[in-house]
Amino acid sequence: MKRITIDPITRLEGHGKIELFLDDDGNVANAYLQIPELRGFEKFCEGRPVEELPRITPRICGVCPSAHHMASTKATDAVYHVNPPPAAKKLRELYYCAHMCHSHIAHFYALAAPDFVLGPTADPAERNILGVVARVGLEIGGEVIKHRAYAQEIQAVIGGKATHSVCGLPGGMSRAITEEERAVFEEKAKSMVEFAKFSLKLFDDVVLANKGYVDLITGDIYTMQSYYMGMVDANNKVNFYDGNIRVVDPEGKEVAKFKPADYLDYVAEHTEPWSYLKFPFLKKVGWKGFVEGKESGVYRVAPLARLNVADGMATPIAQEAYERMYQTLGGKPVHATLAMHWARLVELMYAAERLLELSQDKEVADPNVRTIPTATPDEGVGVVEAPRGTLFHHYQTDERGIVKKVNLIVATGNNHAAICMSIKKAAQGLIKAGQVVSEGLLNMVEMAFRAYDPCMACATHTLPGQMPLEVIIRDHQGNVLQTLSRNLS
Amino acid sequence: MGNPILSDDGVGFRIVEELENRYDEREVTVIATDLAGLSLLDLILGYDKVIIIDSIQTGEGKVGQVYRLDAEDFTTTRHAASPHDVNLATALELGKRLGLSVPREIVIIAIEVQDVTTFGESCTPKVERAIPAAVKMVARELAGWGRHKDTGLGDQA
Repeated sequence: MKRITIDPITRLEGHGKIELFLDDDGNVANAYLQIPELRGFEKFCEGRPVEELPRITPRICGVCPSAHHMASTKATDAVYHVNPPPAAKKLRELYYCAHMCHSHIAHFYALAAPDFVLGPTADPAERNILGVVARVGLEIGGEVIKHRAYAQEIQAVIGGKATHSVCGLPGGMSRAITEEERAVFEEKAKSMVEFAKFSLKLFDDVVLANKGYVDLITGDIYTMQSYYMGMVDANNKVNFYDGNIRVVDPEGKEVAKFKPADYLDYVAEHTEPWSYLKFPFLKKVGWKGFVEGKESGVYRVAPLARLNVADGMATPIAQEAYERMYQTLGGKPVHATLAMHWARLVELMYAAERLLELSQDKEVADPNVRTIPTATPDEGVGVVEAPRGTLFHHYQTDERGIVKKVNLIVATGNNHAAICMSIKKAAQGLIKAGQVVSEGLLNMVEMAFRAYDPCMACATHTLPGQMPLEVIIRDHQGNVLQTLSRNLS
Repeated sequence: MGNPILSDDGVGFRIVEELENRYDEREVTVIATDLAGLSLLDLILGYDKVIIIDSIQTGEGKVGQVYRLDAEDFTTTRHAASPHDVNLATALELGKRLGLSVPREIVIIAIEVQDVTTFGESCTPKVERAIPAAVKMVARELAGWGRHKDTGLGDQA
C-alpha cells in the first residue's frame, strides 16, 4: 500500500474530516479524523486576571459553556487556595446538574435517537429530530423542549444571564438564591425526574426491544477494549461536580485514583503529524499506538466510562437503571461504544434525581455563598465531568493573580485516540472489497464517531455548536472515490 | 450571534452593540449570544419577527460584503441536516411542527468574514469597515416594520 502523507494545513477548510484509506484490495487500511485548529487560545488568556477565565472559557463552546464555567471556577478556587462555603458548593452542583440534564436531553433526542428511531440507513432528510418527532409523536417533542427549557431556566437564574453564566467566583458564587427560587427549582426538578424515567422507558421500547439494534450495540465493529476514566465521590459513585478521578483497566480493575491537582502524574499527551489535536494517554501504561487492550495507554471518558469506573449511582432510580444496563450487557465493564447512549440516559436519571435532592435541601438557599480568598494566588487545577467527559482546567498565575499559563484537556480531547480507533474499526467491518459504499453505510461509520457525543468545538476550541463533517474515501493511491458531507453549506 | 473572542466571528456582537440603546425595549429586544442549535430556538420563541446577525463564509464572496437572507435560503441545509447537529433551519422547523410560537418573519443579516480561527477581540480591517453598513441595514429593516422608532443615537437609515 502506498503511504500517503496528509498535510492538514492545506486540506482543512474549517470543518472536520474523516478520511478512510483503502488498500489495494479495497479494504479499509486506515482511518483518520481531522479537525481544524483554532490558534492562540493560551496566548489570548495570558496577562488577564485569572478570575476572568470563568467568563472567557465558556466562549470556547456554545454547546457546553456551563462545563467550562464550572471547571474554570474550580480552578480559580485552587489558584487562590480558597474553600467555598457548603451552600456555594451545593448551589454550584445544582446548577451543574441542570446543565447535565439540558445537555443529555438534547443529545439523546436530537443526535442519538434518530439512528434508533428511524434506523441507521434511513434517508438523511428524515434521520434527524424532525423524523423522531414524526415517529414518536408531537407531544414527546413538546416534552423535550419543555424540559430543556426548565434546565436552561435554572441555569439562567443561578448563572445570572440566560445567554452567558457569570456566577462563578474564586471562593464561591456571585449571589445566593432565594427561598422562592429554590421552590421553583424543586417543581421543575420533579418534572425532570419523570421525564428522565420516560426517556429510559423509550429507550427500552424502541431500542432494547429491537433485536437488530441490540445486535448493533453489542456487535464487534462497535466494541473497543480500553481503560476508562471518570470522577467519583467518596463512595466511588458517579459525581459530575466534584471528587477524585478514578481509572479502571479493560477488566474493570482500579488502577489509579487521584486528586485533580495531580493529573499530570497520570496523563500525558501524544502528538501525531496529521492532527493538531493531541492524544492524551495514561502515562504509567505508556503510548503504544492506536491499539486496544491492557498494554495500551488509550483511555475513554464520558457516560459509559463514568459508569464503568464507578461502583454505582448515588440515587435510587439511577442505580436501578445502572444495574439493569450491566445485567443486560453481560457485566462490567461494558466495552460496547454504542452503549454510551444507554449510559447517557442512566446519567440523565441521576442528574435529575440529584437536581431534586439539591433543590429540596434548604441549605442551597443559604445566603452565605462566598469565602473571600486571602492567600497569594499561584497555580491550580479545576476538574468537572462535562457531559462529554472529564474536563481539566489548569492555570498558573503570578502573585497578583495575572495568568501566565493555561492548559486545558477537554472532554472530547481525552477520547480523541479512541474516536479514531472506533471509526477505523467500524469502517473496516462495514466497508469491504468490491462493495458499493452507500450513504447508509457511511452513516454507520459516523455512528461510531457520534456515540462519543464529540464536541470538537472544545477539542480545538472551534466554532461553537457547529460541527460540519465530511467523510472521504480514498483508494490506495490517495484518489478520492467517494465523499459524504454534513452541514457544509 | 457569534463568538466575541474569535476575531471576525464577533462581528455580530459588534453590530448589536451599536444598536443596543436605540430602541424601546418593550418593542425591540437586542440579544448577543454564542449559543447554537436548539438553544437559539429558546431565545426567539414568542417574538413576531427576528433579525439574526452573524458572520458567514460563503467561499465565494468578498470580505466585508453584507447579505440579507431569509430562513428559506437555509432550507438546503435543513434537508441535509444530519443527526450531527441541530442547525437553525431544523430548529425552526421543529418549533413550527410542535406548534411553538416561532416568529413569523425571520431575516438574516450576514457579513462575509475573513478570520474565524484566531482568538482575538477585534475584527479584521475589512470586516471592521463593514460594520456601519450592516448596522444601517438592520436599522432599515426595523424601520420597515413600521412601529420601531430609532431614537437617533446613530446614523439615520
